[in-house]
Amino acid sequence: MQERAERSVHFAVTIIGKDSPGIVAGAAEVLYKLGCNIEDSSCTMLGGEFAMILIVSHHKPFSKTRLLEDFRAFEEKLHLSVFVRSLSSDEVHYRVPEGELCMVSVYGSDRPGIVFRVTNELAERNISISDLNTKLIGTPEQPVYVMMIEAVLPRGLEIEEVGKMLKKLKKELNVEISVRSVTPVSL
Amino acid sequence: MSVQKIILYPDPVLKKVCRPVRDLDEEILGLIRDLVDTMRSGPGSVGVAAPQIGITLRVCVVDVSGSKLGKNSNHGLLVMVNPEIIESDGTAVMREGCMSVPDYTGDVERATGVTIRFTDEHNRVRVLETSGFEAVAVQHEMDHLDGLLFLDRISSLKTGLFRRKNYK
Repeated sequence: MQERAERSVHFAVTIIGKDSPGIVAGAAEVLYKLGCNIEDSSCTMLGGEFAMILIVSHHKPFSKTRLLEDFRAFEEKLHLSVFVRSLSSDEVHYRVPEGELCMVSVYGSDRPGIVFRVTNELAERNISISDLNTKLIGTPEQPVYVMMIEAVLPRGLEIEEVGKMLKKLKKELNVEISVRSVTPVSL
Repeated sequence: MSVQKIILYPDPVLKKVCRPVRDLDEEILGLIRDLVDTMRSGPGSVGVAAPQIGITLRVCVVDVSGSKLGKNSNHGLLVMVNPEIIESDGTAVMREGCMSVPDYTGDVERATGVTIRFTDEHNRVRVLETSGFEAVAVQHEMDHLDGLLFLDRISSLKTGLFRRKNYK
């Protein structure tokens, strides 16, 4: 990895399209040839789509247009959509939230509002979501909704309290909700 | 005796298989003191293995008695020379981090209980059963003696919870 010079430039790149082999390799090739570093990234299959979110950097400033142009051939060949956003320096120099990390599992018969009600409850307590996955499983007759949330608790809030505060919602939405600690152990 | 600097990956010493200790001589006793001091100096540190301070010998120390997860079930300070796992059972996943690999953590599956045999700092051979967080710490530190990092054992991506769905 190249040094994070003060004049370096950062972009958020999002790529999404019908899944096929070679999407990651194609994107990585474009970035490599441009001399960009992939700093953080998360890529996954969602439905039949493959979605990539990447934070990329370059040691010398260059334009977002240049990046989009270089992606064009790849984008057309694999029928993908590529979006680029320039990141300001205060977006790049962030502080990782510190605090207890918890995993909230939510699952039950599918119904409207599961994601909204649960995440709204967390937001009201200033709990920051660091990762969230949802999946519709089960059969068409009996769809089941599964949501996994990894969240950072604000200082002073205990995991037991989070469990308690979601108890009411569990009853109301008729879903299972469990909360457990996944704070990493330092060895 | 002194606190040593923790060696960070990619230093190749962390990927070496360590040599067994032959005699518990002054040099080894000094190494043990350094390991304990280094462990005590790290905030929240519950174990250090010799390669983490640059020595490729099969020695590691563990003490989970001061940690939230281990304070109710532990053997205090464990100084382990040439440790071996002679029995293990159960599995559980814990999210681990390592002083030699800063800023990264991952879910690692390990045995919930291990029986270990080792030579202690008084040159006595000991066999003991350990479980819970202490067992995890022991396995993590012993991995260092074989050149293994938790990165070699990450059991799932965060999204590994979900199986692929068949779309018709």
